[in-house]
Amino acid sequence: MFTTGSKLLIGSAFAAAVFATAYGITQGGALGTIGLISAALALSMLAALNIMVRDSNVSAMDHAAFESSPAAQASARPSLWPLLVAIGATTLTLGLVTSRAFFILGLVAIIAGGLEWLVQGWSERASSELAYNASARNLLADPLELPVAGAAGAAVVVYAFSRVMLGLPNKSSTVVAFAVLAAIVVASGAFVGTKRGLSRAAMTGAFSVAIVALIAAGAVFGLLGERATEEHHTTAYIAEENECGVAPTEADEGASQTIGGKSNLAAEVIFDGSTLTSKATGFTGTFDTLTLPRSNSNNIAFRNDSGDVARLVIEMHPLENSDGELSGAERLCTALVDEGGVQLLTIVFDRPSRAIEGGYEFTVPGSDVRLEVVVP
Amino acid sequence: MTDTRSPRPFLAPVAALGAMLVLASCASNAPQDTWKPEGEYAQKIQDLQWWVFLIAGIVGVIVFLVVLFAVIKFRDRGQAIPEQSHGNTLIEYAFIAGPAVLLAVIAIPTVSLVLELNDTADADCVVNVTGQQWWWEYDYPIDADGNICGFAPTADAAPIVTSGQMIIPTQAKVVIRGTSRDVIHSFWVPKLNGKRDMVPGRVHTWNFQANRPGIYAGQCAEFCGLSHANMRMEIVALDDADFQAWIDNQLEPYQSPAEGTLAAAGETTFAAQCASCHQVDGLTNADGELIIAQPENRVWSGAAPNLTNLMTRNTFAGASWDLLIDQCRDDVWEADPDKFGERYLQGVAPECLNQIDLKEWLRNAPAKKPMYADPEQLEETDGLVRGMPNLNLSEDQINELVAYLLERK
Repeated sequence: MFTTGSKLLIGSAFAAAVFATAYGITQGGALGTIGLISAALALSMLAALNIMVRDSNVSAMDHAAFESSPAAQASARPSLWPLLVAIGATTLTLGLVTSRAFFILGLVAIIAGGLEWLVQGWSERASSELAYNASARNLLADPLELPVAGAAGAAVVVYAFSRVMLGLPNKSSTVVAFAVLAAIVVASGAFVGTKRGLSRAAMTGAFSVAIVALIAAGAVFGLLGERATEEHHTTAYIAEENECGVAPTEADEGASQTIGGKSNLAAEVIFDGSTLTSKATGFTGTFDTLTLPRSNSNNIAFRNDSGDVARLVIEMHPLENSDGELSGAERLCTALVDEGGVQLLTIVFDRPSRAIEGGYEFTVPGSDVRLEVVVP
Repeated sequence: MTDTRSPRPFLAPVAALGAMLVLASCASNAPQDTWKPEGEYAQKIQDLQWWVFLIAGIVGVIVFLVVLFAVIKFRDRGQAIPEQSHGNTLIEYAFIAGPAVLLAVIAIPTVSLVLELNDTADADCVVNVTGQQWWWEYDYPIDADGNICGFAPTADAAPIVTSGQMIIPTQAKVVIRGTSRDVIHSFWVPKLNGKRDMVPGRVHTWNFQANRPGIYAGQCAEFCGLSHANMRMEIVALDDADFQAWIDNQLEPYQSPAEGTLAAAGETTFAAQCASCHQVDGLTNADGELIIAQPENRVWSGAAPNLTNLMTRNTFAGASWDLLIDQCRDDVWEADPDKFGERYLQGVAPECLNQIDLKEWLRNAPAKKPMYADPEQLEETDGLVRGMPNLNLSEDQINELVAYLLERK
């Protein structure tokens, strides 16, 4: 008749119905009543299902069911993947209220754990032999696991390495540290190469220690933070500080003396020591004025054909608003250009020449040369 | 029951489409017809492309006939597969060498012409061309001798800035120095030369030469946004005397309208409503100070057309609309070459002004030419418009502006 499980569920359903009625009459709470009625319905449905499958009991007369019934199937082997999924779910939830990184990490853990769990479950149904099931699992999972694990491992190593590099106090110590490290790696390789009898365990142990040491070093330097970045002055800085003169500045140290072949020039300005002339793309010959469009970038190459270093300067005459703020840089200049050197200056004019008393002009500090710039 | 349906229902539309394409080639009014060169460079391109098309056509016909022969002769009638030929060295060499020789024959004059078209040395005239959404600006720099395009102005030389129509001397080798203020555009006047891209941050040069006086229409050939189709341009070629007259006219000093006139009221309205973006050289404010337009503060590209001599041009709004009514426009476009300059230099007379389009433009420019000018949709451009916004001018203000602009020549 009724099986044990069915009796339990029927009784629970009946009790939930009774409680729902009692609660509804005495308390009058709609929400609680609905909850209890829902529970009664759900338990009734489960009871019906249980009656239908008879608690999944196998009849002693049904010999075929001895092997085909669910109860006769091998149960899943213990697995750690559900633990990863659970940790992932926790991390994901944490990420919802903390940071996006936790959320993504949790999501990745859920997906990775879920997939691994699925593959494990699938492989355990392959046969009754554990070895065969393991090989079936590896056949499916290895093409995915190995590249991902390799990439993740490499990422950890690279990240740890980068923390160490960025944490070392200066460029010299970085060079020394990695020269020493490279020497150790080469020496270790040479040692391993000559000692062919080294055991696999010894190799694995040494490699593991090296990796752990690297990760630990990365963690330490990561916690200590990156070294302070040295700031070097640029030509924009010396222009802002009105230091575009003949005296060398920090911005001039090691300044490039060439420009890229692909630099697309509006014009070339040439200083020969006594004159400042221009050669504009499309024109033949040199000019003592230069016409450049307004509201657009103009790439100007400054070529120093004089016998001394020289710098090209232009005053931009920016507008000043009611708050005293300027509409742009007051002046622009190149770094000091060596004899025969070339530097690029990119200029955007926001007003025509006629709006400025005296107009725009290029000058070279230390000389009287001038080149009028006409902005229509 | 008889089936009245056509066995080939697609034949009629295909035939109609083919007929339409064939008939389109017969259009007489085709100002951008690349097959009707009017200048040295366009002629060279056509001279080359005739041969290339001829060779390509012959190859195409041969291939088509061979395929047709194979399709008909070897169509499936249940017969055995025809005899196959593999590994015939002679045929394989021939099929490699033939096309290679053919391509080499085409490549030599093609590369040679490309180099020739890009040779900008010894220009008679240099014009800076700057594209922006959706119009072209032209400025004429002063050369080493203080001339403009080799012509000495009677007044003090100053750079001329105009838009829509680029004026050049007939027969002269004109080199443009092209760039863009916002996105990539392409300058293309088919009757005078091929296309040349105008790229922000770069200066690209290109040659033009017109055989005779006239107007040569063009179109931006690089998709550049909402109103790309409305970004047109025209090159106007004038003979030397007329070009000299045009330069002198452009450099004439500004003249305010007579006091008490509608145009004088328009000058005030222009200064208040338009001069923050549009430059009119010589226009002063109430204190007598020159008004310098600052389109950088309002427009994404940082520029708006200079309207100093608007009525010496035939078009406005990126050459999309004519400033002349149809009859007056035809008088200019269809004038004999020896009369063309005289007609063109008359500019826009009051009776010839296309008031309908100009007033519509002033009434609500974005409604006439699609532009990004809705104040509520300018987040990406920090509130700067791309194109001309609706200034919500009254009809009185529009009438005043039209009267004022009519005197700008």
